[in-house]
Parts: sequence; structure tokens; C-alpha cells
Amino acid sequence: MRPLRFALAQGLLLSPALEAVRAIGLETPDRAADDRRLVVRAGAIDFVFARPSDIATYVERGAADLGIVGQDVLMESATRVLDLVDLGFGSCRFVVAAPTSALERSLDEYRHLGSLEVATKYPRVAREHFERRGIPVEIVKVAGSVEVAPRVGLADWIVDLVATGATLRANELSVVEEIATCTARLVANPTSFHARRAEIEPIVERLAGRTAVVAS
Amino acid sequence: MTGPALAPPRGFRDILPLEARELRAIERSVGETFALHGYVPLEPPVVEHASSTLPVRADRLIRFLDRDGALVVLRPDVTTAVARLVAQRYATASGALRLAYFGAVFREEPAMLGAERQHDQAGVELVGVSGLVADAEVLALLAETLARCGLTRATIEVGHLGLVRRLLAGLDAGATDEVLAALRAGRVVEALARAGAGGLDGPSLARARHVLAARGGMPADADLPETAELAETIALARELYPGDGSDGPYVANVGLLPDLPYYTGIVFEALSEGVRYPVAAGGRYDELLLSFGTPRPAIGFAIPVPRLHLALYQSGWRVADERPLVTLRPSRDVRAALRVARALRAKGIAVALGDVAEHAGLELVPLEVVDERTVRDASGRRTPVDLVAARLAG
Repeated sequence: MRPLRFALAQGLLLSPALEAVRAIGLETPDRAADDRRLVVRAGAIDFVFARPSDIATYVERGAADLGIVGQDVLMESATRVLDLVDLGFGSCRFVVAAPTSALERSLDEYRHLGSLEVATKYPRVAREHFERRGIPVEIVKVAGSVEVAPRVGLADWIVDLVATGATLRANELSVVEEIATCTARLVANPTSFHARRAEIEPIVERLAGRTAVVAS
Repeated sequence: MTGPALAPPRGFRDILPLEARELRAIERSVGETFALHGYVPLEPPVVEHASSTLPVRADRLIRFLDRDGALVVLRPDVTTAVARLVAQRYATASGALRLAYFGAVFREEPAMLGAERQHDQAGVELVGVSGLVADAEVLALLAETLARCGLTRATIEVGHLGLVRRLLAGLDAGATDEVLAALRAGRVVEALARAGAGGLDGPSLARARHVLAARGGMPADADLPETAELAETIALARELYPGDGSDGPYVANVGLLPDLPYYTGIVFEALSEGVRYPVAAGGRYDELLLSFGTPRPAIGFAIPVPRLHLALYQSGWRVADERPLVTLRPSRDVRAALRVARALRAKGIAVALGDVAEHAGLELVPLEVVDERTVRDASGRRTPVDLVAARLAG
């Protein structure tokens, strides 16, 4: 049988994820910041480093057995993985935001025109949220810098992921409502989870135990 | 100028002879095993009413309006069709119905995933009987079917919906449904949060989390009635089909919750190393027939044939007992070649006249006809037709 594969998201979650893995007594890969290797063996585990949005795909399709990924990625990708442990770190919020000065005008526009334009990098999360709220919107998908959309007239509102809210404030946007709070999650491929339980169980148990300790 | 589209519509594909031959071999093994256990074949149509009882999300159904204005669906599973059929055609039957099927099912897949919208599914339904023996019968039939197809190293993980409900005892019906829905979707964190918000006490929550999110297997407190049921079902299945290992292929796993809403009792999935999805899934679904107006206990399983095929391929399996294909090159006397072909086929030997462009992985035996009693093989040696026939048929 091949070694257990554990996929970690590169970027902001990487160092707390490695810290969590180390804290439960697993060996972590010895990898410098400029290391280009994407699969690194440490102890009995192959660690796979990938873009956050790809982690869910790797785990869903069984290319990795376990992964640490933001709940925001799970929500937007709607992949079928087992979401096992709330790891507590990497907290951020999906919010609806609008120009601070023009909130009333956009609501007036909504009453007259019956629909709002919403720019976002997360079309699925945005669409599902406004469907739940019963508000007709036109989703404008952008690849980055969504905060600029209301200023240049691309959209009335935005749906974005915020950690501190500093970027929103700098761009004169304020939160209209919160959609969800997201944290980093330990996820598993369902088939791996059942077939390789003996290896996966202690990892799940210790990460869950650690989270409980950190939270209390 | 572009010609006519040659590729089939998105999500559908042509199955070429080599693959088709392997799929037909699987179909034969599956059908023979089902028949050996008293399961008789039936064939519901591929089109069904687009009713709300279908177990697949609406956006994954392939639906259309027919010319009568009726909304119809290409069936996403066969179990629902069998339930409808039983409710209509066997409404007054009192004994057990043992039904088997092998046919196509259809699901809409996101365009970018390259996934297929059609695949074959094989399965059985045992309708009208409840109890551990019936559960064990279907479990053992799955194990034996996979083994007879050539997949000897599969494990069958067996869970119990009743046991999961027991872990959630104390929640009201609405909260229990929400927790189960989240668990089926794999959202364990959300399910446990919902259970906590619904009033499940600390120790119960910790036990549920331990069993569902980490340990699987059998819960430590073995005094629960469902735990004993699960163990007994597996013991009975071992009697029916022990497999080649000492414990058989069955593994108790309470953490198992297949992504189908209609299961009520035991549930199971067959896993094969290296295949990323279950090669079969099934369980007891005592309430599905009720939704068609005929309350009747039922249990069954379905095998997505492409996944079984993949698992077999990865284990090095090839179609067994295939005889080679003789290709006959006629001499000037065409009639002699036709008579040789007739004589060989009468002995059960496959013969094609002339060259063959697609041999579908079959071994070819090229023969040149000399006269109606003699052929010449590839090395140029002359051999009597009778001798060739005896050698190939043996």
C-alpha cells in the first residue's frame, strides 16, 4: 500500500497547518521556503503541497487521503469530502459588502430596478446566499481585487472573504451582512477514511483533541 | 467546411469491442451469481416519471418534456424504478421477491469534470422480507458476486443506520433528520455542531464524534441492540459466503453513511484497494416502497459496473476461458473455405472469414484454406481440419 498522502494548502494556512501536524507528534517535512518540491516524505506520510482550491479536488478524487483546507474552499467548490475536524485556525468570514456612502442609494436602486449586481470571486457561495435570502442578483465573476468593483461601477455590492476587514475599510466598503464564518478543516476522502481507518484515526483524534484544548 | 459531429453528445461515449467484451464477461458472471441465489431478472424502462422520490438531486437528473407534456427523467438509479414496479405489479404478493437487474443509469455531471452521464449498474432487490437472515443473504450475495467476477480482495464495510440514530437518541425528529443529512453529505463538523445545538448531552456528543468522525468499527458499548444485530448479520453472512479469508470480507463500520436518503437499517459499501470510489453500495430501505403506496420491507445493492471493471483491471484481471478467433484465408475454391468455417464452428470454434481489423483482444489463429479437409497455419505447415478443431476446442 502506498504511504498515506496528506495535502496541505500553500499560502496563509500552511504554517498553522504544519504547526498543528507537528503538535500532534507527526514528523513534518523539512522544507525551506524556496523549496520547489511538491510531494515530500516525512516519516510514514507523503505531504502534498497544492493551491488551496485544488486541495478539495485532490481529496475528493482520492489523490490525497487527508487534507487541511479552508472551509471557504469547501463551500465554493462543493466537493464531496468528509469534513472531520474544525481546526480552529485560519478564521475568516464570507460577507456581503457595499460602499459605505452609497448603501442607501443601492437599496433604492434595488427597489426600483428589482435586482442588484454583485461582484465576487465566489459565485457559488454568493448565488446560494442570495437565493436563500430571496434577493434576485446578477453575479459578476471576477478573478481578483473585488473591492474595486463598486468604485468603478462594475457592481453594486460584493461578496468576499475577509479576515480583519482592513481591506474593506481601506476601500470605503462596509459589511451589509455576514454569510458564514470559516475555519481550517481536516478533510478526508471517504473511501480512504474507511479503508485506512487504522492510520487515519489517531490523526483525527489528536487533531480534534488539540483543537478542543486550544479553544478552551 | 465542418463535417457532421462524430463524437457522441457530452458525457456519453462509444464502448469499443475490447472493453465491451470485458463488460459482457462481467455481466455474465454477475447474472450467473444472481441466478444461483434465486434472483430473477427484470427490466424496467430507462425513462421514468420525474417524481420527487428519486434519490438524486434535481440538478443531476437528465429530464425532459415528452410530446405529451409529461416531465420524464432518464432513470438515475434502478432501485426506485423497481420500487414503483413492485408497488404496481406485485401489490398483493405476499412472499419474497428476489429481483435482479443489469442496465444503464443516467446522471447529469458538471461539464468540466469529463464524467460520464451514462453507465451500467448491476444489482438486486430483496423485497418483502426483513430480519437478519435477509440482510445477511444480500450481504453475502454481494461478496460472492464480486468474488465470482474475479475481485477477490474487496472488503465490505457494513454500517447500521439504526445504530447512528441510537447515537443521536435524545434529539427530536427534525434535528435528527438534519444531522443525518449533514452526515450523508460528509459534513461531520456541521452535523455534530447541529447535534450539540439540538441538545445532545456532552458524553453522547463525544461518543458520536468518536464513532462517526474517527474510529468507525463497532462502538465500544456492545450492549446496544443494533450492535448485536450488526455482529449477528455479519456472522450469518459468513455462513453463507465466507470468502477465502478467515473472517470473510465483512468489516463492521458504524461510521459508514452512504450518500442516499432512503436507507433505514444496515448499509454497506464494497471497497477495493486502489479504487477511489466504492465498487458497490447497498442497504435496507424499508420506507421507499411506502412512498409508492405499498409498505414493504426491502434491501438491495447496486454495483456501478465501470468501477467494478476498473477494480478488476487494476488487479490484473482478464476475461477468462476465451477461445481464440480463427481467421480463414480462402484459397481459389471459396466454397472449400466456407465448408471449413462451417466445420470449425460446429465444434464451437469462432471463425471469421478473411482479415480482421478489430480483434478486441482475442488471440488470432490465422489459417489458410488448402482444401475443405486441410488448412495451412502461419508457419506454412499443412494440418488436417479435424486435428486443428480438436486442438482448439480442447
